[in-house]
Amino acid sequence: MIYLSFRAAFYDQAQGLRTVCGVVSAQIYFTGWQAMPLITVLALATGGIIILQSSLQLSLLGGASMIGNLLVVVVVREVGPLITALLVIARSGTAVASEIGNMRVNREIEALEAMGINPLSYIVFPRILGGVISLLCLAFFFNVIALTGGFMVARVTTDLPFAFYMDSLLQAIAIEDVALFFLKNGFSGLIIFVVACYQGLLVKQSPHEVPQVTTKAVVNAIIYVTTFNLTVTALWYLNQLMRLGLWR
Amino acid sequence: MKGVAFDGFKRLRFESMSFVYETGGPLVFEDFTADLPLGKNVFVTGSAGSGQSTLLKILAVLVQPQSGRYYINEFNTTEMSLEEFLPIRLKIGYSFDLGGLMVNRTLRENLMLPLLYHKICGDEEAAERARKLAEEFGFKGQLDMRPAMVSGGLRKLITVLRAFILRPEMAILDDPFTGIGIDAARKVVRLIHERRETGELKHVFLTSRDGSWIRELDCVTLAVGRHSIELQEERAAS
Repeated sequence: MIYLSFRAAFYDQAQGLRTVCGVVSAQIYFTGWQAMPLITVLALATGGIIILQSSLQLSLLGGASMIGNLLVVVVVREVGPLITALLVIARSGTAVASEIGNMRVNREIEALEAMGINPLSYIVFPRILGGVISLLCLAFFFNVIALTGGFMVARVTTDLPFAFYMDSLLQAIAIEDVALFFLKNGFSGLIIFVVACYQGLLVKQSPHEVPQVTTKAVVNAIIYVTTFNLTVTALWYLNQLMRLGLWR
Repeated sequence: MKGVAFDGFKRLRFESMSFVYETGGPLVFEDFTADLPLGKNVFVTGSAGSGQSTLLKILAVLVQPQSGRYYINEFNTTEMSLEEFLPIRLKIGYSFDLGGLMVNRTLRENLMLPLLYHKICGDEEAAERARKLAEEFGFKGQLDMRPAMVSGGLRKLITVLRAFILRPEMAILDDPFTGIGIDAARKVVRLIHERRETGELKHVFLTSRDGSWIRELDCVTLAVGRHSIELQEERAAS
């Protein structure tokens, strides 16, 4: 479906940039912009909890200077991509699957075909592209809020200096984290919106199929995204262990 | 992949075509072979469930038969990609018996969509075409409303009118008169006659539950069976 929708979008001579941009920007508005209040709350809570727990434990162990490394590993590499993906599945994966399902029921997809408009380039491609961009932006926003805002929340109970915290954090972030960020969040976005569009298009004629495909889209997207994240993390750490000579 | 070079409908032919819906049920068409008449207003009829609407959809290449071939001129449509078929598609205006409007767009945007998407004309001309139709059919005040905000009859009428907006050579209309009101139905009949007189519209295939409009259109009748069709050359009016 990824190949077909991208191929359709690039082959479609009629579909101008204006059409694509219109639908992509609408998708970014619904998936990215409208999710910001919820992602802010989740990021503040997650960041606050992790910073509170880790600063306390690290202080007891005498490793307070390692807080930056721990947070980058936990928040940027693992929790951020997963929570953002789960939130997008819950908010937008369901919306896209049910929207496309209802379009099938209402014969909008057939109508597009009748008008010579390829649904894959007009409906699917902009949703996938907009979804991936939104997820990357939301994940970046989550990381920033979780790491800075979370510190503000934790500040109520800890006396960790902000300058020390930021310095530790900036030193811990490496180029590999940026690569992992794009890999995990980009592919999670791709998985979520391809699964949602595919399930939506599976609706044949009847409205009773819409909730069924929506549920299926959520379940499948969660399974695929979590499996993907786990696989990437496992491969990443096996690679690290090999580099350190701890695993052959 | 580019579209085929197409210079008008010269032949419509089914060869050993079989069709069954994905959702199951009996075969709608089985080993169906027929040449369809061109250049006429054709009223497609048959017993309930005999596949009139399905035949229209296959004619418009909105669904594909499971086996057999459907030729438009020398082109086997069952083997054509969407891009290859596009030049032919733009010569076909299709209207649904139910649904088919983009629910998140206004009536104006629904009418303008194919014109703007295929860059047939600019924004202004597309808006002008939509406005003219709205004035003629008396829904100018509702042009900027979404389908959910207007009556079912008007929604149906917009679907029918959208089939004519690209000035097609062939119109395929699935039960276009039911629910749109006598006045609008009369105007649709007049629109078909006008387009025929100007030479833009050459072939019309339609189903209808209301025989009076079929008589107004001076249709020939095409009785659909499971294996073939029977063309009744005498006009439906007789």
